[in-house]
Amino acid sequence: MRVLVVEDDPMIGEGVRAALHQDGMAVDWTRDGKSADQALQNERYDIVLLDLGLPARDGIEVLRAMRARKLRTPVLIVTARDAVQERVRGLDAGADDYLVKPFDLCELSARMRSLLRRSAGRAEPVIEHLGLTIDPATREVTFRRKPVSLSAREFAVLEALMERPGAVLSRAQLEDRLYGWGREIESNAVEVYIHGLRRKLGADFIRTVRGVGYRVPKSP
Amino acid sequence: MNSIRLRLLSWLLACVALVALAAGWGVYRAALLDADTLFDYQLRQLALSLRDQGVAQGLAGPGESYEVVVQIWDDSGERIYLSHPYSDLPQRATLGFEDVSSPSGGWRVYSVQMHGHTIQVAQPLGVRRELARAHALRTLVPVLVLLPLLAAALWFGADRALRPLLAMARELRARDPALLAPLADEGREAEIRPLVRALNDLLRRLAAALERQRAFVADAAHELRSPLTALKIQVQLLERAPDAAGRRNAGEQLASGIERASHLVEQLLTLARNDADSGGQPFVPVALGDAVREAIAEVAPLADARGVDLGLAGAEEVSVRGDAEALRILVRNLADNGVRYTPRGGRVDASVRAHGQEAVIEVADTGPGIPAAERARVFSRFYRGRVGEESGSGLGLAIVKAIAESHGGRVELASAPSGGLLVRAILPREMP
Repeated sequence: MRVLVVEDDPMIGEGVRAALHQDGMAVDWTRDGKSADQALQNERYDIVLLDLGLPARDGIEVLRAMRARKLRTPVLIVTARDAVQERVRGLDAGADDYLVKPFDLCELSARMRSLLRRSAGRAEPVIEHLGLTIDPATREVTFRRKPVSLSAREFAVLEALMERPGAVLSRAQLEDRLYGWGREIESNAVEVYIHGLRRKLGADFIRTVRGVGYRVPKSP
Repeated sequence: MNSIRLRLLSWLLACVALVALAAGWGVYRAALLDADTLFDYQLRQLALSLRDQGVAQGLAGPGESYEVVVQIWDDSGERIYLSHPYSDLPQRATLGFEDVSSPSGGWRVYSVQMHGHTIQVAQPLGVRRELARAHALRTLVPVLVLLPLLAAALWFGADRALRPLLAMARELRARDPALLAPLADEGREAEIRPLVRALNDLLRRLAAALERQRAFVADAAHELRSPLTALKIQVQLLERAPDAAGRRNAGEQLASGIERASHLVEQLLTLARNDADSGGQPFVPVALGDAVREAIAEVAPLADARGVDLGLAGAEEVSVRGDAEALRILVRNLADNGVRYTPRGGRVDASVRAHGQEAVIEVADTGPGIPAAERARVFSRFYRGRVGEESGSGLGLAIVKAIAESHGGRVELASAPSGGLLVRAILPREMP
């Protein structure tokens, strides 16, 4: 899961980055509108947390520009502007949800999950496939009705593969979902997490497509 | 009791009473004189009629009135008639009118001569005076009766005249306290109008001050959200920290978040204190050089921590009249601002110099500067244009401006030679 956090306040930005990182997300954090624009043009994100009062370029402009480029990434506006007309303006400019500061980290996570669920075309909060269920809210995983305990990274890899069963994700794509900017990527980290998952879920739950990447089969 | 009506009434009534007294006295005197003249005329007429009608025949008439005594002498000086035998009228005669006194009191006497006889008609002065006084007092009665009526009329008149004041008081009482709209000026009495104008002026200033306060509170509440959001996140991170190292790190973050929130609150208080019309300390001569040195010493630890070279580039001995504490806060905010927005290894120079009638404080940094187009906006409260390592309260320059203006000065922004920002506070100088 790769998140772009656009937040000019260093303390809030750092806090949100740390919290999302703990949840196993890859977080890129920019502090002004211009670099947010650049990041959105160069990288692919699963979700964007957007502050409105930004230096250099207002959040609303960033949002309009990205929607004008037909970018459908879910956007959650996180701002101190709480007036009704501001919320309406933000949602009409293309935001998917609106959260007013100060907020609770739990609520932020819940809203992000809800947006991700909807952008994946699902309504039910729990993903279920081939006897494996994962709950992004509680991070609980059960396999054949038995609970499985996974690390945050293992969970992130499994979640990525389970979102679209059958689709092949490359090692680079998985790394993208695991690491934000400036994070040292261990060379064989993805292999290590896949190995751990196979140990807990059985060897052929995750298949290797040689030279391309990994996938969870659509049917057994 | 302090009352306009009472004061008006007592003044008016005192005047009326004085006038009535003077008039009464005049009327009384005139009545007395009139009565005298009348009595004299009667005496004379009586004496003349006695003479003309012959002594013997005319005696019965005047004799009926005890108040008039008639006596007649012949030419040998023998009294031949006295109307009231027991009266002690002296036996002397000066022709015409004369006041004489006897053991029983004074007399008014009229004497006339006829064929060697002397006819004397006399009236006791006491009786005359009694009658004259009774007459004069009767003329005074209407004045005395009218006086209380006049007082009552004045009372009602004053009441009516003061009614617009009461009406205005009612109008003010019925007002919504939040409504500071001016009172209507049209149709007011000439005496009330200055009061209405003064009140309206006060209301206008109050409304402006209230509006400023409202805007300030709204801004402050909005601006407190960021540090509170940061604190909330930091507390939650502390709660969910998995190990001791994580907890320590989260604790440090939380402490700096609290530090920042306190700084913002302190800056808000400073701004509120130095806002126009807040009425601060009395102005005294302040040596600016010392104020700048003190402020730099205060900001030095921050500059050290950020690896910024903060120093005094030059200090002339210049004095201004002002609040020493506020001026130190002004310089401290300038230096603090410069340090916060200058990257590590940069330089911030402060200086004070005299320029004609003015004292000029300059702080130049080697930071990114502010584009000329944005310079006007940076003085507004909570504006944060520059992305630095740490966000300030956004109030620094607003505080500098408020203090400079309360000292009759101004603040200008320019580009420093290094390309950074140059802030110039210009204050009227105290001439030695």
